Amino acid sequence: MLMRNLVILSLLITSNLFALDIKPVPFRHRTLQNGLQVYSVEDHSTPAVTIQVWYRVGSKDDPPNRSGFAHLFEHMMFKSTRNMPAEMLDRLTEDVGGWNNATTFDDSTPYYEVVPSNYLETLLWAEADRMGSLVIDEATFKSERDVVKEEFRYRVLAPPYGRFYYVITQSSFAKHPYMRPGIGSIEDLDAATVEDVKQFHSTFYRPDNAILIVVGDFEQTQLDGWVNRYFSPIPKPVAPIPRVEVKEPVRSAEKRVTDRVGNVPLPGVAMTWIGPAASSPDAQALTVAAAVLGRGESSRLYQSLVYTKEIAQEVDASADLRQDLGLFAVLAVMASGHDAAEGEKVLRAEIRRMADAKISSAELEKAKNLLITDELRGRETNDGVAFALGEAIVLEGDPGAVNSGLARLQAVTAADVQRVMRKYVRNAKPVVVTYRGQEAAQ
Amino acid sequence: MNQLLVLLLTAAIAVPPPPAPPRAAALPAPVERTLDNGLRVITVEKSDVPLVAARLMVRTGAEEDTRDFAGLARLTASLLTQGTQTRSAEQIARGVEALGATLRADADWDYSAVDVDVMSTNFPKAMDYFADVVRNAVFKKEEIERVRTQSIDALTVSLQEPMTLARLVASRVIFQERPYGQAAGGTPQSLARIQREQIAGFHERNYRPDHAVLLIAGDIKPEQAFALAEKAFGTWKTERRVEGSPLPTVPQTVPAPRIVVVDMPDAGQAAVVVTRRGIPRADPLLYQALVTNSILGGGYSARLNQEIRIKRGLSYGATSFFEMRREAGPFVASTQTKNESAAEVAGILIDELDRLATADLSDKEMAPRKAVLIGNFGRALETNAGIVDRLSMLALHKLPLDEIGRYVPSVQAVSATRVREFAAASLAGNTASVVIVGDAKQFLEALRKRFPQVEVVAVAELNIDSATLRR
Repeated sequence: MLMRNLVILSLLITSNLFALDIKPVPFRHRTLQNGLQVYSVEDHSTPAVTIQVWYRVGSKDDPPNRSGFAHLFEHMMFKSTRNMPAEMLDRLTEDVGGWNNATTFDDSTPYYEVVPSNYLETLLWAEADRMGSLVIDEATFKSERDVVKEEFRYRVLAPPYGRFYYVITQSSFAKHPYMRPGIGSIEDLDAATVEDVKQFHSTFYRPDNAILIVVGDFEQTQLDGWVNRYFSPIPKPVAPIPRVEVKEPVRSAEKRVTDRVGNVPLPGVAMTWIGPAASSPDAQALTVAAAVLGRGESSRLYQSLVYTKEIAQEVDASADLRQDLGLFAVLAVMASGHDAAEGEKVLRAEIRRMADAKISSAELEKAKNLLITDELRGRETNDGVAFALGEAIVLEGDPGAVNSGLARLQAVTAADVQRVMRKYVRNAKPVVVTYRGQEAAQ
Repeated sequence: MNQLLVLLLTAAIAVPPPPAPPRAAALPAPVERTLDNGLRVITVEKSDVPLVAARLMVRTGAEEDTRDFAGLARLTASLLTQGTQTRSAEQIARGVEALGATLRADADWDYSAVDVDVMSTNFPKAMDYFADVVRNAVFKKEEIERVRTQSIDALTVSLQEPMTLARLVASRVIFQERPYGQAAGGTPQSLARIQREQIAGFHERNYRPDHAVLLIAGDIKPEQAFALAEKAFGTWKTERRVEGSPLPTVPQTVPAPRIVVVDMPDAGQAAVVVTRRGIPRADPLLYQALVTNSILGGGYSARLNQEIRIKRGLSYGATSFFEMRREAGPFVASTQTKNESAAEVAGILIDELDRLATADLSDKEMAPRKAVLIGNFGRALETNAGIVDRLSMLALHKLPLDEIGRYVPSVQAVSATRVREFAAASLAGNTASVVIVGDAKQFLEALRKRFPQVEVVAVAELNIDSATLRR
């Protein structure tokens, strides 16, 4: 997850689950003539409003030899437009006590603001303005590209395990552009041009490729009027929107990758498998499986590798399900004196155990409760609600999933979890990534 | 000069619609009661989402740690959830997670705290575990060894992060000795020395009702919160009052500023820290410090990020902050940059401190930076955890809870003159130390031009246990 400005938004990584006794998100929807999808949720509990514009373009749409471009482009969206000088979005948000940011995911790029609600009209004007035009000069482009190169160093080079995650992404896909880490590489960033920026904006930043979400303190008819006034004049281009058509082949053999980096004191090991798309009926069962394996100190991986055997320092399991397909992963950073091979052996045993026998009903209920509570925490704020809605629309192709996700989660059985572990993991081939310091490389 | 003004003068260009009149935000209304055993209970009802957050805070943290046993308060907190008189570590984890709850314990400088966050329907059950770990932790030897090993490994990893290491070195440089000169998390050596006796002693001295505050916020009525507090903590007694040695005070003598480079040849980026002593949390100058910092480095459009990221593309972000503690904690301005630009960035950080103390400050610059503080303040109070955190800090520093209502007017009242006075007295560039952790050969020559007195320590020779920084 890459963003313009560094913040921690843990709610972004949750899936869309929802408790039965929880108020549904009462969203309204309409479509403008130019194809813009508009969703709104009126809530007057605080005098603030969240405005989000999600574009259906992400890192998977990076042009050839331009890895990292979608993210670099995201940064450029805060520079000049026809009617705004560079950083004017900050004047309209931060300077009045709000904030803004944007995030480049693999499949989408949401731009978002949280402002006192009396600034809603101003921000709708601004979002419409940068959807309609972007004016980038060479000097601005180069300076912001330097910022993104610093972001690359900050995320990948400076932290001891930054490259670990980078290599896991690169190694886990054979063909699909999900294989390109969204942050890109210094060489590809250096190759990008102002012309690429113009091209990318005209190709993807258009009303029929965008979703506007407004949550918070507004009046519906007033909002509708402003949206008509500022967004309706933006023309819908005639050219079709290019889409990634690449199909990831089924893995025919296990693959092993080793990476060695200077400043890594403890070795790491990760195993990944190709999972289903976020919209798959198997999504919830696989999410539960990841929680049983890796959520909290009572999880199977923690109990086995960290607590009982004391061979790992940190463990994780994740079902990162995206629009086209997903990645199921388990990971261990070893404890001092223990090698990655030891960790891999136990990770394999724990994976096998998930496929060989059903999880207990206590484990099933625990995982569901943890996932529901995560989702509730996201509902404490307007932007949390807007993100949940945006993810349902973009990843699952169904805004109603923001409310129906819980029923599907509640319906997951132990047999479902076993079935998906067999289907996507036991009966499939892993990619195994080991990560070591230079000293341990003998 | 002002882009917005230029824009408004260009007739053909559209301008943004102006804002409507603002609406005021509601502040949380805490109610409180003190149990017979002295435990202060503070609660806030907020019923929009069915969640509750609670914190049990004791008024002692890492500042009590002696030099030999640095890391004791944190290690003690980490062990609370690892076994009680009636439950094993696994039973606690299993029971808490079955409720969908998170239960965490940690120690900061001035306090140690256990936090729980859970669906409101499960809060009564979660309170049972929450109170059990606070009151009845047993500190089994095998659990101590396990947590010790994990803590040392985690520390070893974090010492490879340039910024983590730079911050530790910076504290040593400006405070030299305990309390604030040492690492709150200890060192691999000090963690190895701590025995059960010290851990149990810390717990016995400090985890007691008359030294604690319980905060509960969320979807719960005050009467129910007080009843649950009584049920879980009403029988919590202090067996005998154990007096610890008095808390160490920060030595008043401020050491001369230093320019320190820790040479880490494989650092992927250089961490640059400019630091000096700040002010205590309860200082009357608090709001001047907050506004001054908001202008300097508190947010995206503050001066440091303007100069370092937005104008020059030298970093993903530059920031500054005061760590507000019982006594004056550190002021830190910091950023990460490619190794070859570390010297340039260090110069900019110092220059910006001086500009704040000398150059004029317009209301046009002040107003947005105050809005940032006020907006952040209001948003932090939108979540249960944010409410608990804000109120617990007021309680910790023995400030009235209604200070929450004075935040906005106090920020608004700070004038440009007061900011300049504060900056001149408390943030002058020549009173600050500089610490850089990175690949020295890429920036040392440039750094020496501006700071001839620079000291260089190879990372292999670094000793964060000593003010000399050397073995």
